[in-house]
Amino acid sequence: MSTPMPGDPLAVTESRVGVADSRLLRGSGILSTHGLGSCIALAIYDAETRCAVLAHILLPCEDRAGPVARPARSAVHAVPLLLRKLRSAGAGRRLVAKMAGGASMFGPLLLMGGVNMGERNIKATRRALQDAGVLLVAEDVGGDYGRSVYFDVSTGTMLVRSLKRGDRTL
Amino acid sequence: MSELTSLRPMQLDAIREVANIGAGHAATALSHMTGQTIMITVPTINVAALEEVPPSIVAPDEPVAAVLMSMLGDLTGRTLLVFPTDTATRLAELLLRRAHAPGTELSDLEQSALKEAGNILSGAYMNALSEFMGLMLLPSPPSFAIDMARAVLTTAYLQFGSDRDYVFCVETEFFMQDTGESLRGFFLLLPDVPSLRAILRAVRLA
Repeated sequence: MSTPMPGDPLAVTESRVGVADSRLLRGSGILSTHGLGSCIALAIYDAETRCAVLAHILLPCEDRAGPVARPARSAVHAVPLLLRKLRSAGAGRRLVAKMAGGASMFGPLLLMGGVNMGERNIKATRRALQDAGVLLVAEDVGGDYGRSVYFDVSTGTMLVRSLKRGDRTL
Repeated sequence: MSELTSLRPMQLDAIREVANIGAGHAATALSHMTGQTIMITVPTINVAALEEVPPSIVAPDEPVAAVLMSMLGDLTGRTLLVFPTDTATRLAELLLRRAHAPGTELSDLEQSALKEAGNILSGAYMNALSEFMGLMLLPSPPSFAIDMARAVLTTAYLQFGSDRDYVFCVETEFFMQDTGESLRGFFLLLPDVPSLRAILRAVRLA
């Protein structure tokens, strides 16, 4: 799992996004985030200026009202944050989004009082994008397995890697 | 949250001791099953924001085999047993008394053996807690996954926990001495916050 892109001479930099965090890259490079379960990797991208942000979203929304310490943590706050970041980096208005994750692992136990966080995250992220008027062009969500995501800033493609299903390109 | 960070040292010690008793029984069960010597560490308590839980076990995208069980009854919460792949493979070999085919993934039979071992170990852990504290504890059937470490852990914390901001987790690491090589595994106890209070009441430290 150590080589970020299969068969890719990785001269470009890989910028890793931590849990509840987000990062922006321009021009070239790989934005990645690893080991998503019910979490969502959301990339918003402007093809014209090759400007992209990737967030690792943990929750659909914050349980508590008040100031938000880490906006990338929840879908409702992450989308506006990513848009702000893109805007201040000079991205255009023709933004598109791709997302992956939102799995429901340990499914049988969910019936015993669990919350389907994956499903809730997927719905909240879709809604937040819709509210912000950002077009979701591709997604690889749901299922019962974890994913890692590599977003290539120069091409706008998202590679979704999982142990169960192998690689999928969005 | 304040409840979690304001636990006194004495109370933390008591929780560690409770977990130690559970892990000790689970280690004995594992030792009986495999015929190996099993060592356990002193349990560590992690109280951290969800996004800051230390990636102590293995790298986030490293595959692990994990058995998750829910606890029901007087205490609610979950137990999670985590085996890095090398440990999982060796353990399956010991349980089934036959070699794993090199270069292949764990077979259905091997996965089933690990799931059952997880069931027995978690059962031993919970039984010990139940007896020691005089509380009724019912384990759910086990749920098994082989997947990326971070995906497994965040799911165990998030999907089932009552608190969405903080994780309270008691972690015991165990080692299996095997032909000079030491194979690690982890036992995590994730009590729901109200159950923490129940544990402290049971040991008269509420």
